[in-house]
Amino acid sequence: MSDITTTLRERARALMEDGTIAAFIGWEAGRFERQTTPLICLDAADTDRLIFDEYCVNTTAKYVRDLKQRGRIGVAVRGCDSRAINRMIEDNQFKREDVYLLGIPCPQMNDRKTGTVLNKCQDCAHRNPVTYDELLGEAMEETAPQDRYARAHLVSGLDRIARQNIFNMAFERCIRCYACRDVCPCCTCRTCFVDQRNVGWLGKQDNLSENRFYGMIRAFHISDRCIECGECERACPMDLPLMAINKKLVEDMNTLFGEYESGMTTDNEDALRSFSKTDLEEFE
Amino acid sequence: MSRIGVFVCHCGSNIGGVVDCPAVRDYAATLPNVVHAEDNKYTCSDPGQAKIRQAIEDYDLDRIVVAACSPRMHEPTWRALLSHTKVNPYMLEVANLREHDSWVHADNKEAATEKAKDLVKMAVAKVDHAIPLYTQQIPVNKKALIIGGGIAGMQAALDIADAGYKVTIVERKATLGGKMPMLDKTFPTMDCSACICTPKMSEVGNHPNITVKTLSEVTKVEGYVGNFEITIKEHAKYVDYDKCTGCGLCTTKCPSKKIPNEWNQGLDNRTAIHKVFEQAVPSKPVIDADHCLKLTRDKCGVCAKVCPTGAINYEDVDRETTETFGAVVLATGYELIKWEDLYPEYGGGAYPDVIDGLHFERIINASGPSEGRIVRPSDGKEPKSVVIVKCVGSRDPNKGKAYCSRACCMYGAKHAHQIIEHIPDCKVYVFYMDVRTPGKNYDEFYMQAKNDGACYLRGRVSKIYKEGDHYVVWGADTISGAKVEVNADMVILETAMVAAPGATETAMLFGVQTDKDDWIIEAHPKLRPVETASRGVYLAGVAQGPKDIPDTVAQAGAAASKVIGMFSHDSLESNPQISNVDIAKCSGCGTCVHICPYGAISLVEKHLRENSVKVTRDVAQVNPALCQGCGACTVACKPGALDLLGYSDKSIMEEVDALCQW
Repeated sequence: MSDITTTLRERARALMEDGTIAAFIGWEAGRFERQTTPLICLDAADTDRLIFDEYCVNTTAKYVRDLKQRGRIGVAVRGCDSRAINRMIEDNQFKREDVYLLGIPCPQMNDRKTGTVLNKCQDCAHRNPVTYDELLGEAMEETAPQDRYARAHLVSGLDRIARQNIFNMAFERCIRCYACRDVCPCCTCRTCFVDQRNVGWLGKQDNLSENRFYGMIRAFHISDRCIECGECERACPMDLPLMAINKKLVEDMNTLFGEYESGMTTDNEDALRSFSKTDLEEFE
Repeated sequence: MSRIGVFVCHCGSNIGGVVDCPAVRDYAATLPNVVHAEDNKYTCSDPGQAKIRQAIEDYDLDRIVVAACSPRMHEPTWRALLSHTKVNPYMLEVANLREHDSWVHADNKEAATEKAKDLVKMAVAKVDHAIPLYTQQIPVNKKALIIGGGIAGMQAALDIADAGYKVTIVERKATLGGKMPMLDKTFPTMDCSACICTPKMSEVGNHPNITVKTLSEVTKVEGYVGNFEITIKEHAKYVDYDKCTGCGLCTTKCPSKKIPNEWNQGLDNRTAIHKVFEQAVPSKPVIDADHCLKLTRDKCGVCAKVCPTGAINYEDVDRETTETFGAVVLATGYELIKWEDLYPEYGGGAYPDVIDGLHFERIINASGPSEGRIVRPSDGKEPKSVVIVKCVGSRDPNKGKAYCSRACCMYGAKHAHQIIEHIPDCKVYVFYMDVRTPGKNYDEFYMQAKNDGACYLRGRVSKIYKEGDHYVVWGADTISGAKVEVNADMVILETAMVAAPGATETAMLFGVQTDKDDWIIEAHPKLRPVETASRGVYLAGVAQGPKDIPDTVAQAGAAASKVIGMFSHDSLESNPQISNVDIAKCSGCGTCVHICPYGAISLVEKHLRENSVKVTRDVAQVNPALCQGCGACTVACKPGALDLLGYSDKSIMEEVDALCQW
């Protein structure tokens, strides 16, 4: 049992016992080797099931929303989880004082099929939590990816037809399970536009046209808020290159509105949802 | 099942000459839920309206489609008609067969008719999902705020105050009047500017219904039409106006006497405690804190010693007050363009005798530093040759502004006329691009200046440089095609008007937009020229674009009449086509709060029962009085929790679907 797992269990149990938190979100061992599932501890005894290893691939942050009515929630956060927490605070889903964060510097997660580092973790620029109440273990040196937009450049360099072909091939595979949406910390709408059948934004048919529409609108909805955690792509059962689209939009946002990383703080001005009185009408 | 009536309008031959209106009518009759369709010559006319009223009775209609001109034109007309029938005025849809169809497709009648059918089909699909909307009453606080105390602001204030309503004027400078009392004579009648302006100033100052706040500015605006909560900051004057009698003793004793006098364009000096000019209103001095020895170095204090009433207060501070106003008039005025930076070829301000129009007004003004004698600022000599250059900074998109400043042709002619009148042997050359004299007696005035002997040369000036004690002006006479070189003792540049600094910031406080040149944008350039996009906020004078005095006064009167019209009601009808929140969909993310340009949306905590569980969460709430129905929030809201009443997502989707069905 690793040191982090031990301290994680100790701290989570202590916080639950002294009443600081009403529930704790972490990970437990899954049914299979190299597999974990998120664990929501509602009782101090549950904390003994907590573990932390390089197969804790799921993000913990999104469960806070479902639990917040219970009181203050403890969350185990790595870099990406902490940014997801910040993101959701900025989207007014809960307040910083509603969560108690046990920060864990991330050793990078592995793909359970291959045992190599996950794609999403290879691009990671923030392995240490950006916000926490306690840090478990030593903060580690950050290794910034060589090219933040490398994934975008795989498609953005191509001509229009080639690009369209890539996306068509991808969205032809899409089964519209909405796992990418459900796992995304930016997708906090109570009723997603795709589920509003009576308005009819999206048809029910599982075909290229509707799938592509869903995929693109989802990407645009998070374009100025995406924390680049890569959870959507990891969760996708059909291996769609979703981060290529997201990274391209993040690149565009940075080009058009200045250098910006979502989820690093809670007082950002999101480019597409701020209105300033100095926004002049420069159009003629 | 809805019962829709369709009325296809020929608009004389505007639509009927291109679109086959009877065919559109017959097609409309086949559309779902349409129970009656007819066409007529003019649906907006009394007989046309009578037919709608009759059809509502005869066919028991509950929704109306009028296929006619742009809804901007006559939608209010038919809404007013419907308000007297059993059909809700918002169960109306106007299909635009004129601007969107017949006018643009006059060369292809068949296609235009097909498009007309599509437009009607869309309108029918949309109106089928319309819901009745009802207006609310907003109380009106019958007090007006005028921003800017120039001739526009004063005229508007007087008109409103004379109608019996309270008015407050906020003026940034220490006196009312703005630019007009600086001027000498006014074209074309040549009456003395100060003689007609200063009586207005004192009338404003003494009016029982008008409160004047000088050295003041608006810092914060909250609320909405009829109920603006406006914070006004009054800067420290260091003189207690309740005690000061305006005797002027302090200004004669002040030892800081070397401060360039802004009123006279720096042609002479003033003291640190000073009255802006003799007839200033309020007729009391202020201390210029940047130059006062007491305030900068804690020495002197002479003015406090000599003041017989003890009105001087060096501890004076800026004061902020918040008041409620029902309507606002923006009359922020103008400045002359800073030509010095833009035109180095004219000396860039290095030559003392190359001056702008306002300088010249002060030189020729009897109350100016030279008491009305035309002299050169450099040596006080009388010029024998003067060059007037028009369009400096105007009509010059490369260096200055693309627009025409409108008044310069006339005051250029006035300057020429005045110089020849004062110095009969003085030669006057006027370089012009075009001479624009649209106004009563304007062209006659210009012709008189020419007959006086002013030499008009059509062309721009390329360079001005000094040679000895005179200036050489290089220009072109494009009519003869010759290059022109003129020796001048003095050069007057008739420079462009630009928006007053801070005008954009002030407008933005009210959610009013300005254009690329910082002029305030009117609600409609032709039909609503003194209104702005924000209800209850009006505009007057040059703030909207360059104007001369008669136009400014006329516009101020128009703005005042709008305010008076509004104040004649005890309450206003709200626009019911506003944003509506579906709290079941709202996740309380606050995007709409950030995006709303009118501050109409806020997040409120709601206690709800969802899936048998009590929950407390934030949801968006729209203030119906503030919401202008712009729709910015409805597109920013990702789950579509915000919907614009009258333009719901559903109805627009139906419209699109109707168009896409073949």
